[in-house]
Amino acid sequence: MSGTGIRVAALDDIPEGEGITVDRAVTGTEDDIALLRDDDGSVWALNDTCTHETASLAEGWVEKGHVECPLHASRFCLRSGKVEGLPATRDAVAHRVEVRDGEVYLFPNETSS
Amino acid sequence: MTSTPELAGRAGRPTATPAGPLHRPSELTPTIDVSGLVDADGGLLDRAIFTDHQIYQQELRRVFAPSWLFLAHTDQFRRPGDFFTTYMGEDPVIVTMDKSRAVRAYLNSCRHRGARVCRADAGTTRNFTCTYHGWAYDLEGRLVSVPNREGYPDRFDTADWGLVEVPRVENHRGLIFGTWNPRAPSLREALGGMAWYMDAMLDHDGAGTEVVGGVHKWVLEGNWKLSAEQFATDWYHVNMSHASALMLLAPAGKSPRDEIVHRAGRQYVDPNGHGAGFPVHPKNRFDALAVHQWFDYEAARARLGDARVEGPMTNGHATVFPNFSYLPVNGSVRVWHPKGPDRMEVWAWTLVDRSMPDEVKEAQRLYNLRTFGPSGVFEADDGENWSEVQAISRGFVTNSVPLNYQMGLGSEREDGRYPGKTSELYSDAAGRAFYRRWQSLMNTPAWYEVDR
Ligand code: FES
Ligand SMILES: [Fe+2]
Repeated sequence: MSGTGIRVAALDDIPEGEGITVDRAVTGTEDDIALLRDDDGSVWALNDTCTHETASLAEGWVEKGHVECPLHASRFCLRSGKVEGLPATRDAVAHRVEVRDGEVYLFPNETSS
Repeated sequence: MTSTPELAGRAGRPTATPAGPLHRPSELTPTIDVSGLVDADGGLLDRAIFTDHQIYQQELRRVFAPSWLFLAHTDQFRRPGDFFTTYMGEDPVIVTMDKSRAVRAYLNSCRHRGARVCRADAGTTRNFTCTYHGWAYDLEGRLVSVPNREGYPDRFDTADWGLVEVPRVENHRGLIFGTWNPRAPSLREALGGMAWYMDAMLDHDGAGTEVVGGVHKWVLEGNWKLSAEQFATDWYHVNMSHASALMLLAPAGKSPRDEIVHRAGRQYVDPNGHGAGFPVHPKNRFDALAVHQWFDYEAARARLGDARVEGPMTNGHATVFPNFSYLPVNGSVRVWHPKGPDRMEVWAWTLVDRSMPDEVKEAQRLYNLRTFGPSGVFEADDGENWSEVQAISRGFVTNSVPLNYQMGLGSEREDGRYPGKTSELYSDAAGRAFYRRWQSLMNTPAWYEVDR
């Protein structure tokens, strides 16, 4: 899918260093989506459920290009979803995000280039 | 601006912990009758209460577990997930603000194999995740994640394995206390007449108090009762133990003024074992100049009354039974954490009025640090005394010679100015009441023994 993407949030809804969850009913994805805002202000999207245990990555700690799971501290790359720290061993699914005029648009299942 | 945490929403009753067929044999918890160790009427004390291991174990069960114990200041919890770890007796606890902004406290021990689930002193978190095998608990104490959950039998229900919660948490003017005792009277009731004296420090102007960031912690050789008792009842030591510090604070080239050395004052004696002593000379205020100049004494007189301003507000010492003490004029607030019969850990905060400008708060902080910080000129004298007393107390002959608490015997009375029973400034009356309370708790089965 391409085009204009799905408007999922206003940028101001997501404090830096934190995340919010967007319901799969809105995004049409297999899992809810975690919109994660890095400490440089950029926004990224991953499947919300940690690949290790059942935990919401949107409740995790977002910092310097990574999100850390709030339960067992597994770490994932915001850009690619690649797992970067145990105990998780499987990558998270990343989705492309665009910010236009203070609005956040999601492109489900597209990867960022 | 700090919002005041809600105080609703806690369990109110003990957390159920499935024990199956486990039952602890009573030989593991022998009970000693302490009637013969404390003579509160005659003012005599057997030194074994400061050194004996069985007595110490019984104290944890019968003095600490059923009593209201100081946990933290409300200022330490501003948003959900803020936490502070401390001890109740020797039990490690986490104090935190849950998602509904209620301050709650939990035993800091994993229900799996017992590791601490929070190993930081203070901070902000979303969950308490055990670093041993990864069981994770939310801010409401629920077990929310168990790695390899499939490996447990069907009857394993995470609802049975949440953190053990401190069933009662209440605050008095920002000071948060907790108790394991589901049937304890309310905190306000347990403080009783002591609250009037505490409010001389906590209620200067209606804006309340806050704490300077950080807690000073230090370890001393010495039984926890030596310091708790001293803060309840002992102005007697001041001129002797702190002679050098008093000389230091006196105007250059002079020794301290006569009215500073020979003080008139009163000592409050609370039936629940609390105590507070304070000189009553109007010139007794004894603090940093910047604080003194900022303070509106007329407003304080209107709010608190002359008796409180000319006594428990301007100077003195106090203990809330069993192990919380404070010095009103320094803003020093501390807990004597027991660490075995021979050792204590002192945890000390500096309290300031929220209404103080920053430079006055800073002056208060520095003044408290210089006098009653870990290396304060007064604190060091006190610690030296307690450790000295403890260090020799294991000697067989030394340990069997009774100690004297007879000063001011029979002097407690209503004086018409200070509420409740008071004695002289120099008196052991509050000390006798402290040990009377201790003896009574030690000889009374606690709620869990009665329920069994
Ligand atoms: S001891 Fe906590 S998970 Fe095992
Ligand atoms: Fe002292």
